[in-house]
Amino acid sequence: MNLILSDRRIELPINNRSTEFIDLSGLQISNCIGCFGCWTKTPGKCVIRDDAVKVYPKIAESCKILYITKVKYGNYDTIMKTMLERSLPIQQAFIRLLNGETHHIQRAVAPKQATVIGYGNISNEEQEIFKQLVARNASNMCFEDYRVIFSHEDTLEQTVINEVTSWKE
Amino acid sequence: MEGIMIINGSPRAPKSNSKKYAELFAKYCTVPSEYFAITNKNHLELCRKMENYTHILFVFPLYVDGLPVTLMNFLKTLEEQSPKTKLQVSVLVNCGFIEPEQNNVAVKILQCFCKKQGYPFGSVLRIGSGEAILNTPLKIFAIWKIKQLATSVAKGKNRNLKTTMPLPKKIFIRASTNYWENYGKRNGITPAQMATMGIEEGSV
Ligand SMILES: Cc1cc2nc3c(=O)[nH]c(=O)nc-3n(C[C@H](O)[C@H](O)[C@H](O)COP(=O)(O)O)c2cc1C
Repeated sequence: MNLILSDRRIELPINNRSTEFIDLSGLQISNCIGCFGCWTKTPGKCVIRDDAVKVYPKIAESCKILYITKVKYGNYDTIMKTMLERSLPIQQAFIRLLNGETHHIQRAVAPKQATVIGYGNISNEEQEIFKQLVARNASNMCFEDYRVIFSHEDTLEQTVINEVTSWKE
Repeated sequence: MEGIMIINGSPRAPKSNSKKYAELFAKYCTVPSEYFAITNKNHLELCRKMENYTHILFVFPLYVDGLPVTLMNFLKTLEEQSPKTKLQVSVLVNCGFIEPEQNNVAVKILQCFCKKQGYPFGSVLRIGSGEAILNTPLKIFAIWKIKQLATSVAKGKNRNLKTTMPLPKKIFIRASTNYWENYGKRNGITPAQMATMGIEEGSV
């Protein structure tokens, strides 16, 4: 499955049954409260039963994934960051070594080809930090391969279309 | 008057490790400090209170390699409601994994905020194995560095400190497996249940 996870609405002229578009801004998702219930009470399930519980299984399943997020101080802005934090149930509490570093064992999470489009008025410094952040995420979010693309908000739609069109080849 | 405003950015502030780190900091700091936790409702109040202090110490956990949403939301309010004089900002960040360097990007994000908003940056302490270290005799390593952080913040110095449990990674992993298995056990959950590969499956 291919997944597009966006923090805003985007008109996409795609009609592809294997690609799902999720607009997080239209969903009800509250922030992670760090209770570790998804590891130690109801493993694999978040105790907060809002819209996030429909999204993280799809993140886990997807082989190709496109994240579309506003960038703030070199971090994901809060809509996307909230969803990433609420995806903790797809990992186990248990830790393993990955490339010499400690990381969590993943549950049934497909290895991913990930693309991250960061948009907004992003300074060079913020771009650099954001790239380092995604490089760190790669180990925790099962990215086999990833690319980071930056875009201004007014050219975002075209950037997304270009990216998604390239998937079909 | 000199004073440090300690701000906890953990979403579980009342029960957080960050709170314990903040308490240790306050204990060893020679300059008066006051502790606050960010809630959904107190952003404006915290921004207004900043006028009464000379320093801010942000204490928070690493979440998905960056700042937790609780802290991001607060920084966005602070951007709109910044105090007239910009305080010096220091950081005490802790992460679950053993490598304190996994906190580096989060520190850069906070430094980026400070630079953009004109807050002078002070000192940093990055703690690895932050979920566990205070529950073991190895907490002396954390305490030692927190003392150093408290001294540098009090003196307005710019130090970049880090600490973790001084264990081989394999032993850390074994200890952490034990820690989590006991956590599950208290909830009546077995290690096998915790290790399920299923996501949103069945009822436990
Ligand atoms: C949603 C979530 C994401 C986390 N992400 C990371 C991470 O990327 N790296 C890490 O080392 N620890 C991570 N942790 C672990 C916390 O940083 C660690 O448990 C910390 O001690 C929590 O501090 P607190 O009690 O002050 O909130 C994460 C925890 C949660 C709940």
